[in-house]
Amino acid sequence: MNPALRKLLRKGTPNPADIDAIVRELDFPLVDGPDVTFVFRGTADEVYLRCWISGLDTAQPFQSLPGTDLWVTTIELPKGSRIEYKFDVVAGGTRELILDPLNDVIAHDPFGANSVCQGFGYERPEWTLYDPEARAGSLQNLQLDSSVFQESREIQVYLPATFRSNRRYPLLIVHDGVDYLNYADLKAVLDNLTHRLEIPSVIAALIQSPDRLKEYGGDDRHAAFLVKDLLPFMNDTYPLTDAADARCLMGASFGGVASLHAAWRYPDQFGSLLLQSGSFAFSDIGRHRRGPVFDPVVRFMNEFREQPGRPADRIYMSCGMYESLIYENRSLVPHLQDKGVELRFEEARDAHNWENWRDRLRTGLSWLMPGPAWMVYE
Amino acid sequence: MSPDIPLRLLLGPQHPVVNLDSALARSGIGDGPIGVISAAWQEAEADIDAVQRLVQNPLSDLRIYQRTDALFAADKRLHEAYRLRQDRLIEQQRLYRMRLKHLMVAARQTLRTAGDSAVVAAERRHAISQLRALDRHHLGQVEKIHSHFDSTFGAGSDAPLSEYAAAIEEELSRFETVLITGGNVIVLMNRLRLCGLDRQLQQKNIIGWSAGAMVLCDHIVLFHDRMPQGRRDPEIVGRGMGLLPGLVLLPDTKGRLRTKDLVRTGLFSRRFAPATCMTLDNGSLLLFEGQTLRDSESAKRMTRDGKFRRVRAA
Repeated sequence: MNPALRKLLRKGTPNPADIDAIVRELDFPLVDGPDVTFVFRGTADEVYLRCWISGLDTAQPFQSLPGTDLWVTTIELPKGSRIEYKFDVVAGGTRELILDPLNDVIAHDPFGANSVCQGFGYERPEWTLYDPEARAGSLQNLQLDSSVFQESREIQVYLPATFRSNRRYPLLIVHDGVDYLNYADLKAVLDNLTHRLEIPSVIAALIQSPDRLKEYGGDDRHAAFLVKDLLPFMNDTYPLTDAADARCLMGASFGGVASLHAAWRYPDQFGSLLLQSGSFAFSDIGRHRRGPVFDPVVRFMNEFREQPGRPADRIYMSCGMYESLIYENRSLVPHLQDKGVELRFEEARDAHNWENWRDRLRTGLSWLMPGPAWMVYE
Repeated sequence: MSPDIPLRLLLGPQHPVVNLDSALARSGIGDGPIGVISAAWQEAEADIDAVQRLVQNPLSDLRIYQRTDALFAADKRLHEAYRLRQDRLIEQQRLYRMRLKHLMVAARQTLRTAGDSAVVAAERRHAISQLRALDRHHLGQVEKIHSHFDSTFGAGSDAPLSEYAAAIEEELSRFETVLITGGNVIVLMNRLRLCGLDRQLQQKNIIGWSAGAMVLCDHIVLFHDRMPQGRRDPEIVGRGMGLLPGLVLLPDTKGRLRTKDLVRTGLFSRRFAPATCMTLDNGSLLLFEGQTLRDSESAKRMTRDGKFRRVRAA
């Protein structure tokens, strides 16, 4: 048990004032090296920790501390881990998933928010935070008439702070770009890494699909949209370096599949790929067990694994160790390396979430698109 | 205005400690006006108020970067040709890097391996000679690309460029001393070369810090062991002004090099020999009169075995 809780209980049943004091003083969850104790205070019949970590039970039960309204559970988290969680509180026959009321650290995603446990040794990278010294790039909203989808698509374009029309820029195409902005602080990251000269000034096309599970799951129309609609539009609108090695496709989860698929369908169009927790499901024999939404993904990945070709010269892949997709991601590495792709694979003690993807952006982007720090001697 | 024997005052980064003022005072460079080349700052070029507060000499920025941009805007043909040259240089560098990576791995492995000393020594020498051969080849290819561009646009063949170069030369003639700031060394060298400044500066006293010092050497050598994406092998990118033959200057060595990895530093030193690799860390100073070292402070030279020894002036 956590030492502070042990001390609280040492003299028998603590009074509410002592509990109030400890709740005020301590940061929750309680992190003691690898042991993390989650605390819920309130009336309940049962409480569970839900943290969607591959390898741990889906619901870890809390224990009630006798004579108090405290519920606790302790798990072991290896150094450098970061996990997202909720409390599953059962009371009076109803069940409710709630954020940890004692923890202010929250991560948002398109489905809502989760509480965050920053384990021993994890620190949010400072380059993900707003830096007043870093000049801010700008965002433009544009409409793109898609010949492939026969409709207008909204895209956002990030321009670097030092943008000049007489320069030429590399292009970064970001799947789920608005989500990357909202949940992975992509704008601050691009501003900061550019300011630190760790990446070059880039133009980023941030795309968002109205039906991502379909369009990003190995859909030929999406690949054609990127190459036949988006690339010409971007080339006509902005001063881009018109070469494959100055184009990077990136995405997470299904966005990773979409990136790999487009580069595979159109080899020589994209020099580099940044693939985060790609949903690279496949089956060696029989049916996969990930549900019908993965059917086209598995079809594509099986075909890809059979004939990977050489989708790009350089690929950065990352995946959380605590997500089930780590298996698929790890197994993709030798397939790509066998084809002579220069590949960097990074595993993180995190799961399938936007902050995991945010925290890997520096290594991925600066490796794929090295900045001028190399040439700058102040 | 030109001194009989020009002085070269070389400094490390001017942060966190500034030594430009004290170095200038002990250099023997007088209190006359100084022309400034801050093209390495790119968009921030000519923002020299902080530098002016440090020194008594009146400073005047030549605005090479901005004027080159204006030249490109007025002379599209030149701009297109310049871009094409840059694309070729980038491609050449990419191919060089591709080959260099494998030779560097091989050379490091031979330096780390144990065995019969006579056998190993011969293989080490050969591994390093292969690196040098690649560096020489690369430099030759880079120069070919430059020559192709120069043959089209050099020596008065492009009127706007000739006018621009003449204007810079005229302006430069007012100064006995030129100060070249740190910043992006590639941008700096490209801009110096475009307007022929690499030749015009030979007879001037030059004060240069970091990148501004590197461009005086025979070759520009890029190095950085502490990039966020990992170490990079040192690369030659082209020739410098050649005003300090036989010298490779390494600004901010403490910040950029893994100085305790003697295999890496030893290989660095041996690869570029017979040139001497000298550090220019924050607070360092080297003062040359012509090509003779007259004064030094905190600068070190890299030895063949990768260690660092203090530089002593004659």
